[in-house]
Amino acid sequence: MEKEEVKQKIYALVEKSVGRKKLKSSDIQKTISAELGISRDEVKNALKDLIDAGTLIYTYFGGSFVEIPPKQ
Amino acid sequence: MPKKYDTPLLDQLEKGSYPSFVTEIKKAAVKHESANDLLGALEQCYKDKKTHWKHGGIVGVRGYGGGVIGRYSDIPDQFPGVAHFHTIRINQPSGFFYNTKALRELMDLWDHYGSGLTNFHGSTGDLVLLGTKTENLEPLFAEVSSRGWDLGGSGSAMRTPSCCVGPGRCEWSNIDTLDITYSITQEFQDEMHRPAFPYKYKFKTSGCAVDCIASIARADCSIIGTWKGDIRIDQDAVKWYAKNGMDINAEIINRCPTKCMSYDGKELQIANEDCSRCMHCIAKMTKALRPGKEKGATILIGSKAPFVVGALLSWVVVPFMKMEPPYTEIKELTRKIWEWWDEFGKNRERTGELIERKGMRNFLEAVGLDPQPAMIREPRRDPFYFWQPDELK
Amino acid sequence: MSAPQRKTDIGPPHFKQFLPPVIQKNYASWKYHEVLRPGTMVHVAESGDKVWSVRMASPRLISTDFVRDVCDVADKYCDGFFRFTSRHNVEFLVSDESKVKPLEDDLKKRGMVMGGIGPRVSNIVHTQGWVHCHSAATDASGLVKVIMDEFIDYFTTKELPNKVRFAVACCTNMCGAVHCSDIALVGVHRKPPIPDHGRIPNMCEIPSTIASCPTGAISPDPAKKSLKINNDKCMYCGNCYSVCPALPISDPVNDGVAIVVGGKVTNLRTAPKFSKLVYPWLPNNPPKWPEVTNAVKGILEAYVKGAQKHERVGEWIDRIGWEKFFKLTKIPFTFQHIDDFTFARETFRTTAAFKW
Repeated sequence: MEKEEVKQKIYALVEKSVGRKKLKSSDIQKTISAELGISRDEVKNALKDLIDAGTLIYTYFGGSFVEIPPKQ
Repeated sequence: MPKKYDTPLLDQLEKGSYPSFVTEIKKAAVKHESANDLLGALEQCYKDKKTHWKHGGIVGVRGYGGGVIGRYSDIPDQFPGVAHFHTIRINQPSGFFYNTKALRELMDLWDHYGSGLTNFHGSTGDLVLLGTKTENLEPLFAEVSSRGWDLGGSGSAMRTPSCCVGPGRCEWSNIDTLDITYSITQEFQDEMHRPAFPYKYKFKTSGCAVDCIASIARADCSIIGTWKGDIRIDQDAVKWYAKNGMDINAEIINRCPTKCMSYDGKELQIANEDCSRCMHCIAKMTKALRPGKEKGATILIGSKAPFVVGALLSWVVVPFMKMEPPYTEIKELTRKIWEWWDEFGKNRERTGELIERKGMRNFLEAVGLDPQPAMIREPRRDPFYFWQPDELK
Repeated sequence: MSAPQRKTDIGPPHFKQFLPPVIQKNYASWKYHEVLRPGTMVHVAESGDKVWSVRMASPRLISTDFVRDVCDVADKYCDGFFRFTSRHNVEFLVSDESKVKPLEDDLKKRGMVMGGIGPRVSNIVHTQGWVHCHSAATDASGLVKVIMDEFIDYFTTKELPNKVRFAVACCTNMCGAVHCSDIALVGVHRKPPIPDHGRIPNMCEIPSTIASCPTGAISPDPAKKSLKINNDKCMYCGNCYSVCPALPISDPVNDGVAIVVGGKVTNLRTAPKFSKLVYPWLPNNPPKWPEVTNAVKGILEAYVKGAQKHERVGEWIDRIGWEKFFKLTKIPFTFQHIDDFTFARETFRTTAAFKW
């Protein structure tokens, strides 16, 4: 599985959840690793790339979540 | 900066002998607009008898999910200098030791990028930089990290571990609290900066059962130094205490919780097999009594403050663990605990609460620990308990 | 300043570089210590080396200039090394005995306060309060200041039966080990939060807000796409406000300060204990909180009078019994004192033996 593909899957999952349920990093790791049959570390690694690039951000409001950054 | 606000209420807290936080804010206000406005905003809180802060949930440094706590004033038009007033948690060095060169450098940076106000230290142990604007976060982080400092934890992550002074300056310390704390912090950097847990997870390490860092009351994992073997007695020093006015029977023998000590006016005797290592006699007769020679730690799990259904104290899960670098056993146990918590924990559920919900047996089996009497105060009182199929014929 | 290259995941600086040479040399080889004065003790190593620690009070919320002043002192007397204690005091570490007295004199001249070692009051562990917290029901720094001013003699000179550990938490979230302190002050609310139906739909996740309530007092309000509070069930803990900012709970008139006593974290003699409620509510009366300081004074005076040497507040109360504690302190006993929450049945008296 190419990392880019994993990243796209992660982003799509977070995007789909907007307004429904805030996802934790571990929710993403569990869901994507099960869906793609890859290890959680691979998902974690791809997620780290997305966060480092600012494509996704951590938020903290009654728990820590991964979300799409607000439009400036 | 000239004085901006009259603060008749806060001014009253500059009187009295104890050093005043108001004086400190005023000192920072001489240089900083934000500290000046903090003074005004705080006076307003004192007048209104309510807080004027809102929580923020987004700001941070790139790549990290913690270490910065967003904070906004709810009356920004009145006090624009604290419209944004974010906290930065800097991971403190083990044991809160510093040298002046490193701290002066840090203070210069903080005067450049922030309010000039700090907490030495926050409740968890971080060196707290109190109040800056969003746009200063990245440049300040570049400056401090390039000088060897990193951020602490916040949110649903491993929180900044902390410890007592330990072998740095205490004769009672059974373990290297400073090194254990450093080693755990380095091992779990990812778990600290990229929150992926159900909720917070705190480590606190105390060198002995006196527990100066309060680990048993406020750490999900409390590491408390202890020993096996006999308490070492220096009978000459016992005589020194007696000669210097200590009533050994009243202050030591009668205060011993297990009644394992006796004193006939000449010699002090300890029935070591009955000693529970509470530290009272050692702490009061520090010249005469010293812990036994086989050192290690008791590992306790679960303590937390009252939110949501009541406070917990940590309970014993490993009665005795050797604590030698690289501390593989505690790190492996921690990974197993986190794996189980990750699988079953709900959002904002602490490890101790999950153990209560799922049961100790479930927890102990998941992390591979055998049941032992040291784990409990007393066995269950009720007659309702489970058997697994493999325990039956 | 042009920004240097940022680094991540490096962790804190290694502590070894911050240890004074005498400590590096005698690391893990300390033999005993003696308390020389309320603010000064000496630790003696197996090697015979000695290190003197001079403990100075700090308000914890300190300016960069305060830190620089401390650095000046440490440069002059301690080869540039010092530390903070787990209760936020400053400790100057001196390896040369001839510098101890001049250091103490210098600190006095600077108007600094030394003390807190031994059976005394030490600095107060506390939270951010109105200085920096969104959920504070009272201020923390202000309460700390008035309590420390009131009991300053027990920091600088006078002895108590044993240490008395104070703590202040500005709400029931209790950042810090407030719940296991000899005497702790806790900011409390007394009225349910008032849902802001305009903001809840956009700001708050309904299921997680409902789940945050320990008593099940929050339910969905589908018509408004909002939340309802069952006021009969709400215990005003404020946890929902941490999850959903559109459930404001602060109330200047009804918020106040509760006092809990008798907790300890140490294992010395008796097991660690939680602090227990003695004052359910006292008014928030800044900047001096006279009702609170008076109440604390009453408790401390009763302890000083009644406790035996080495008894902590909780150990003293365990010996005399709570019924006698309330009698001695003349604190009114109310319905609020009787637990009707998680730990209730552990706290009822299941014996016919008690004191009149």
